Amino acid sequence: MIQDVVWGGSIVLMGALALVFAWVAAGADMALADYRPAIASAYRLRHWLFALALLVLIGANWRTLGELPYLSSLAPLPAAEIHPADAVGEQWAWTVTPNKFVVGQTAEFRVTTKDVNHGFGLYDPSMRIVAQTQAMPGYTNVLRYTFIEPGVYRVLCLEYCGLAHHDMKTEITVTAQ
Amino acid sequence: MTVQAVAARNEIGARGAVLTYLAVCGIVLLLMMLFGLTMRLDQAQWISLDPAVFYMLMTMHGAGMVGIAGLSGAAVMWHFVRRHVPVSTGVFLANLVLFLLGAVLILGAGFIGKFAAAWTFLYPLPAHSGDVWSVNAAAAYLVGLLLIGVGFLLLHLDIARGIISVYGGLGAGLGVRQAFGLAREADGPPPAVAASTMAAIVNILGILFGAAVLVISLVNLYEPSFAFNALAAKNLIYFFGHVFINATIYMAVIAVYEILPVYSHRAWRTNRAFYFAWVLSTLMVLSVYPHHLLMDFAMPTWALILGQIVSWLSGLPVLLVTAFGALTNVYRSGLRWNVAAGLVFVGAAGWAIGVIPAILDGTIAINSVMHNTQWVPGHFHTYLLLGAIAMVLGFMTYIGGTESEFGLGPVGFWLYLVGGAIFVLAFLAAGSASVPRRYAVHLPAWLPYDRVGSIGAVLAFAGALLLVVQFLARLGTAWHARDEAS
Repeated sequence: MIQDVVWGGSIVLMGALALVFAWVAAGADMALADYRPAIASAYRLRHWLFALALLVLIGANWRTLGELPYLSSLAPLPAAEIHPADAVGEQWAWTVTPNKFVVGQTAEFRVTTKDVNHGFGLYDPSMRIVAQTQAMPGYTNVLRYTFIEPGVYRVLCLEYCGLAHHDMKTEITVTAQ
Repeated sequence: MTVQAVAARNEIGARGAVLTYLAVCGIVLLLMMLFGLTMRLDQAQWISLDPAVFYMLMTMHGAGMVGIAGLSGAAVMWHFVRRHVPVSTGVFLANLVLFLLGAVLILGAGFIGKFAAAWTFLYPLPAHSGDVWSVNAAAAYLVGLLLIGVGFLLLHLDIARGIISVYGGLGAGLGVRQAFGLAREADGPPPAVAASTMAAIVNILGILFGAAVLVISLVNLYEPSFAFNALAAKNLIYFFGHVFINATIYMAVIAVYEILPVYSHRAWRTNRAFYFAWVLSTLMVLSVYPHHLLMDFAMPTWALILGQIVSWLSGLPVLLVTAFGALTNVYRSGLRWNVAAGLVFVGAAGWAIGVIPAILDGTIAINSVMHNTQWVPGHFHTYLLLGAIAMVLGFMTYIGGTESEFGLGPVGFWLYLVGGAIFVLAFLAAGSASVPRRYAVHLPAWLPYDRVGSIGAVLAFAGALLLVVQFLARLGTAWHARDEAS
């Protein structure tokens, strides 16, 4: 899942940066007779690092900005392939109608709220988030998700909304074709 | 009284004001860390709290930590910038008085009025308590924040006045001409002035927008028919919140610029890249806040794309200028490590390392599965606990004269560093496992993260306790000591 890639990548990059700091700290007590050549090399290295960072930045944004979850950015689907569902939040319950789907169906959740801000977090049967959007007073946010495995999905509130925020849950059942 | 005697008295007064700030910050920091530790122990199911108490503590912890991050950052900034520009000790102390008045109102709102709408007071939640807190409790919290905002506004205006009086304008204070090669690098402002200019520009704007939404929320409390657009309110709140918390780091980083060179005996190089980074950071701190709204699908898509791109760009100055500057300043400098130098160096590292998970969370495709999970407190605790607060503790140790490489200081340093690292990694791991943030009750499957995080929190708290108590114990001596770097 994408979360595992992000976690693994973060640990590698954060660890590498921490090692660089530790390496410099460990050698700090040794004094260079002439600091100028070292600083000149460091500044050359920084030019290369800047170029590398720009490449990574452009590449990552180019790749990921093509996968936006917003309705205006999604490929159009024939109406027959879309299964609309109303998801309404209020302190402290979700009402999702309908709440039964079949694997392969693309649900289009129309998410809103009757009172305060809530977060519509869709968890798969292994309790990992697969999609989310905010539920905002006065707005209906449209979230599409195609179910790829059967089981009991859960909707958890992902925006703090008061005393029973942690209890604001409901279930969606997805059956095999 | 001679001119020299007046100057000496003013110097002692200014030093006393900074030490008073730090004493308040140290005590509040420990209290807020205790609140945070209590929440983690509850999530770990090692203690049991009523959810109403958990969420009240969460609200107090958030507001208190953001407040003292700002207050301690202001102490660092003011201490160093007053070497270059005229500033008012009276205004500096007025900020502290307004902060304390605001803090009393906020603590009263929480502990007496049971207010628990989180520090972000997301409209219209303060008015929808579910019968947990009263309208008056919510109002006390909002007025408390307003008072704190007014204090910071006065402080930044006074510093901006001082910078303009010496450099002729805020652009000159930021080094804009040096950044674009229109003036000699050697004639640019010192790092403390550039950073203070940036903090003044962004925080004056941020606080004004924050005050607007606070007043709107206050009116809505007493006159519910006065409704405001929830998306507009969210924009205002996150603009204010993002700017304010980021400004705390940009103020605290002055400690890195000023303290590391004292021990490495190498001046901090201010060149074109340095000034360009500060100009860029000013613009990006003001424009990046939509990355908090990536899951608000009603936002204009262009604003969310901008939020992602600016999130990535904003890492460059931190990593390639400040972090790189700290590394080159220390590299084979003959520096003998002590607690003060170690803490500000860790602060630079923590800030840079925390940028990585922050940038990833600012990516829309990743935010779709990470937003409002514990990944968020994971990344912001990395650059606040191990970044900004480490810098402040380094400054506290430096100015308090407790930077010795012997005694309890090094024990406090290592406990804080190791405990802090365990604490933030547990949050990040939990976030990648989809554990939601801000939940009073956790599922059994989430407990291992909570328990490891709690152990880290205990260690980090013990480290901070040793460092702060050492500082407080030497406060009297520090009051009359001569500032070695002045």
